[in-house]
Amino acid sequence: MNQTSDLLTLRSVSKSYGTVPVLHGVDLSIRDGEFLTVLGPSGSGKTTVLRLIGGLEPLTAGEIRLDGQDISGMPINRRPFNTVFQDYALFPHLTVAGNVGYGLSVRHVPRKEIARRVAQALELVQLGRFAGRFPAQLSGGQRQRVALARALICQPRLVLLDEPLAALDLELRRQMQEFLKSIQREVKTTFLFVTHDQEEAIGMADRICVMQAGHIRQLGSPHELYYRPNCEFVARFFGENNLVAGSLGETRGEFRAIETALGRLVCSVAGQPHLKAAATGARGFATFRPEALRLAGDGDAENRLSGAVADVAFAGSSTVVTITAGGDAAQRLRLRFPSRVEGSALRAGETVALSFAPHEGHLVLA
Amino acid sequence: MSSSGLARPAAIRWSPLVTVLAFALPVMFVLAPLAIFLVYSFFSVDQGQIVYAPTLANYVRFFTDPVFLPVFWRTIVLCLSVAAISILLAYPAAYFLTTLRGRWRYALLMLLMVPLLMSYVIKIYAIRSILGLNGFLNKALVGLGILSEPSTLFVFNMNAILLTLTLLLIPFAILPIFLALERIPQVLLRASDDLGASSLQTFLRITLPLSLPGVASAASFVFVLAIGDFLTPQMVGGISGFTFGRILYSQFGTAYNWPFGAALSVALAVVVIVAILLGERFGRNRGASL
Repeated sequence: MNQTSDLLTLRSVSKSYGTVPVLHGVDLSIRDGEFLTVLGPSGSGKTTVLRLIGGLEPLTAGEIRLDGQDISGMPINRRPFNTVFQDYALFPHLTVAGNVGYGLSVRHVPRKEIARRVAQALELVQLGRFAGRFPAQLSGGQRQRVALARALICQPRLVLLDEPLAALDLELRRQMQEFLKSIQREVKTTFLFVTHDQEEAIGMADRICVMQAGHIRQLGSPHELYYRPNCEFVARFFGENNLVAGSLGETRGEFRAIETALGRLVCSVAGQPHLKAAATGARGFATFRPEALRLAGDGDAENRLSGAVADVAFAGSSTVVTITAGGDAAQRLRLRFPSRVEGSALRAGETVALSFAPHEGHLVLA
Repeated sequence: MSSSGLARPAAIRWSPLVTVLAFALPVMFVLAPLAIFLVYSFFSVDQGQIVYAPTLANYVRFFTDPVFLPVFWRTIVLCLSVAAISILLAYPAAYFLTTLRGRWRYALLMLLMVPLLMSYVIKIYAIRSILGLNGFLNKALVGLGILSEPSTLFVFNMNAILLTLTLLLIPFAILPIFLALERIPQVLLRASDDLGASSLQTFLRITLPLSLPGVASAASFVFVLAIGDFLTPQMVGGISGFTFGRILYSQFGTAYNWPFGAALSVALAVVVIVAILLGERFGRNRGASL
């Protein structure tokens, strides 16, 4: 799969509603064939990005290029993109087949070919038997798949998905996530998926673009975002995390120290020159995942932390221990380890020594 | 029911009465009069006195007398025309309303509904003076050079009834069409655009079919109101503009033949009920609302 060429490029795209800015000069490149998820809390501008690309709304400034050509002014019905809307937006007076074939029929594709391609598309989303039904006779998951088939049948360059799973219950949502991902692999079409659910994003995306307050905070693979967040927002927003505030200390090779209220912590700065270059004394955070934290052994010289167990929560496959560190009730650390049948030896109120390996720690600037 | 406050026991005590009223009012004021009419239609009149002996004579007369059936059909055609013209005029107006934003939409809608607040008779007088020999319509047509002299084409004939009823009833057509158009989710139109449809295609394939229930309701409203009207034909119809409503009126008034009038009413009621049922049948969205 060739993922190096850019399909669509946003250059300093801004959008304001009246005098209220919602996007501040966003730059984003979407690669051909990838599953890109735009993730952010509500009000972050993620849906606006999708609407601008889809042509549902005009840009305030900047440009959108498709294969290097500016398409900012191209009307919605001429753009080779199709959208799966949040509440599906199926046409209630048309059957499933009528809905799916709509995009072909408005382009005056011959009737026989429409029938053939509709059958194909319905087969793809496993709804072959439902061609004659009306949308009101379908379940939420089925409507969702009709909407997907309707978008895919036009063979768009890019499929835009606007929180399409938000209306489904948890179990169905999981199924649909897998289903979407497998369809995307099968048709090899570029998917731009907007969601506020980071679990959904981790599970499906090739790359994730995290947005907040009209800015893109970080763009990278789920793995990069999880282990190498580039700012406090991403570190806190993306998955459960431990953050300890402090000021940056000396750099030694691929590691840098940070002086915190809990003592001196050493974290990896490999491949992140801006962290190596940051001034000594600059405010920042040490971040490390709950599963990186463990009970300290005698051999652990670095990154030793001590605290009191506040809570032990059994969560099925793993157990999460909440620890109050450094006598500060606000400084909480979470420790996650695989559950064992004999249960956790830790009890609330107990004092424990903890540690994490320097290469599993990471720094972000405040 | 858990007791949520003190109001509830009182409400329970009143509820049988409310239920009885809810059924009694339509029975007393709608069904009972209709039933009385139906019964009267089987009586007859002899020298100004009603003979309370059942007979089919009224219906035989209605179907065999050469006067009544032609007027009956002509009136139905007239009212269908009124409904059709009203819809042709009301649809663009309603569509235009839905393209307006926020308060303008409702301000203009209110403005279009204002004529409903005015007295029916005054409106007919006003329209008659517009259509008359020295009326605005003739003056405008002569002024524009379309007519060389004022025409009597627009008043005291069937045309006058058609035009007047259309003008009077158009608000009843605009409202249901507007409501149907307004209920179409905007996202469906965006989805149509997104799938490559031109704005004309979106209108013809999405907006129009989804608004047809409103059109059906509008047509049945206007038709039913038009066919029951006797005042308008009386005032602007002259001698040639003779409608079924006027015959009915004369049976109860001048002719003082209530049983025959009742039989004609039953015939009219059948048409009205059919129109309402058709409007209801097509006014529903194939059970396919999202």
